[in-house]
Amino acid sequence: MLQFVLRRLLLAIPTLIGVTIVTFVLLHLAPGGPALALAGEKATPQQVAIITHELGLDRPWPQQYAIWLSALLHGDLGFSYIRQQPVLALIAERLPQTLLLMGTAIAASIAVAVPLGVYQAYRRNSLFDRTASAAVFVAWSMPTFWFGTLLIAVFAVTLRWLPVGGLQTIDTTAFDWPSRFAHLTLPAATLAIVSMAGWSRYVRGSMVEQLREDYARTAVAKGLPQHRVLFRHTLRNAIIPFITLLGGTVPALFGGAVITEQIFAYPGMGQLFWQSATDRDYATLLGMTVITAVLVVLGNLMADVLYGVFDPRVRYD
Amino acid sequence: MTEAAEEPRSRRLRITFVAALGMLWIAAAAIACAAGPSVLHVNAYATDVAHAYDAPSRVHALGTDGLGRDELARLLQGGRITLSVGIVAALVSMFIGTVYGAVSGYYGAWLDTLLMRVVDVLLSIPTLFLLLLLAAMFHGSLLALMLVIGATSWLGPARLVRGEVLTLKERLFVEAARSIGAANSRIIFRHVVPNAAGTIVTTTTFMIASAMLAETALSYLGIGVRAPTPSWGNLLSSAQSDIFAGAWWLIGPPGLAILLSVCAFNFVGDWLREST
Repeated sequence: MLQFVLRRLLLAIPTLIGVTIVTFVLLHLAPGGPALALAGEKATPQQVAIITHELGLDRPWPQQYAIWLSALLHGDLGFSYIRQQPVLALIAERLPQTLLLMGTAIAASIAVAVPLGVYQAYRRNSLFDRTASAAVFVAWSMPTFWFGTLLIAVFAVTLRWLPVGGLQTIDTTAFDWPSRFAHLTLPAATLAIVSMAGWSRYVRGSMVEQLREDYARTAVAKGLPQHRVLFRHTLRNAIIPFITLLGGTVPALFGGAVITEQIFAYPGMGQLFWQSATDRDYATLLGMTVITAVLVVLGNLMADVLYGVFDPRVRYD
Repeated sequence: MTEAAEEPRSRRLRITFVAALGMLWIAAAAIACAAGPSVLHVNAYATDVAHAYDAPSRVHALGTDGLGRDELARLLQGGRITLSVGIVAALVSMFIGTVYGAVSGYYGAWLDTLLMRVVDVLLSIPTLFLLLLLAAMFHGSLLALMLVIGATSWLGPARLVRGEVLTLKERLFVEAARSIGAANSRIIFRHVVPNAAGTIVTTTTFMIASAMLAETALSYLGIGVRAPTPSWGNLLSSAQSDIFAGAWWLIGPPGLAILLSVCAFNFVGDWLREST
């Protein structure tokens, strides 16, 4: 097991190096560049040239990349000249907010998707199943920002139950759970809608399959109560492939967070990424991509490890 | 696939109700958007400031926007743009994905390992991050938008096609083609890929749906289709601020148009997947 984790971690290294190269090259293909963004629109070409030289942006790419990578290995993600802050500090400030948002969204998705999928599979082809399937399809096709806007229009503007956006009530400085939770509800619902739909479809499909298996029929035949067959027998088998799916959702959630955080003015990674992209803040963009890729790789690894925990038939060799 | 065990085989090939609805909607939307503007004699670009923010009336069935432009005309014109962005971007991504996946799966060995590692690397970066970076860089023409969306969404199709090719290349007809001396490129694109058509067509349908959603997301962020050209995405995104001007009638139509069209393509894709 330990050996498996270690080997997977070793295999992750080339992937992460690949991510840094792709991002690095991509960012340097961009027209303009940070020097121009930093110097401002009115800067003379000479001023831009000076800044370019000071930032080392006039050196060849491989050299710039090597400098950046060796700093990274020393725990230095670079410095955002536009924000005048180390990239690591910027990310450290935003990452917990996004992880909280994503965690809430994942928890909400599972809490809805699993029971819904199980019940649909149990009552398959019933009116409820068909209606729910159609509703899930609509949710799956939802443009996220439209859904978010509708939520704001209904729950924040019309009913005034929940805040329009932000992290917590502006005039409170202390950490306030009820306020935080209220501010988290609408963004998390927006972020969760698509994964919720995808997952409930998946759980339904895989439960239907498991309920057809011989062991499920045997369990019913020997007189076990329905709920026991459903939750003790078939769900445990149906949920296993779902775990891999969960691990693979991390990048999509990070992507979804860009839109969601924009709608709700939620100060997380997504917002930082979008702001950095518009500011051409390359150092921050690079740092964020690397951190996100690390989280994605870890997410996949965790899914693989959990796979073995839930399915004792899996052996790591 | 799983349903088939209980039902007679003929049932599998029959079209489902929702898939029929989906096809009907796609056909109706395509015809309306293609023919609508000229049949109705409306212009999506003609401004009329005296009639800015007119509520729906007999003259303007869906009202007007902040510049007095007819919303129905903009919706139909926007449909042309969004549907073509969706379709072209999906074709671009399927083309890249099919060639990449087929080559990777067919040749196997170290080339397959290498190509799939590249896919792993790109999959570790959230697609929207890449999409944002590229769209911000090449913001401008419609063609660039289509290419950018296509260039960031071929990873899934590549994996699917590769998986399909891995099993197809062991089939007898491949061996037969090889035995009569067909070149690898001919085997791949004349024998193997056509046999993966089911997967490819199904995936294309889903890719159109997701490319349309990508267009709306980028337009929401202001780096999608450029004003004054309407698209369902930027109509919806500008409608969000128009709400504050009291123009409630602008938010529904583009949102519903996107939702129903994406849904329609997904329904058709789902039916195709179930029946192949």
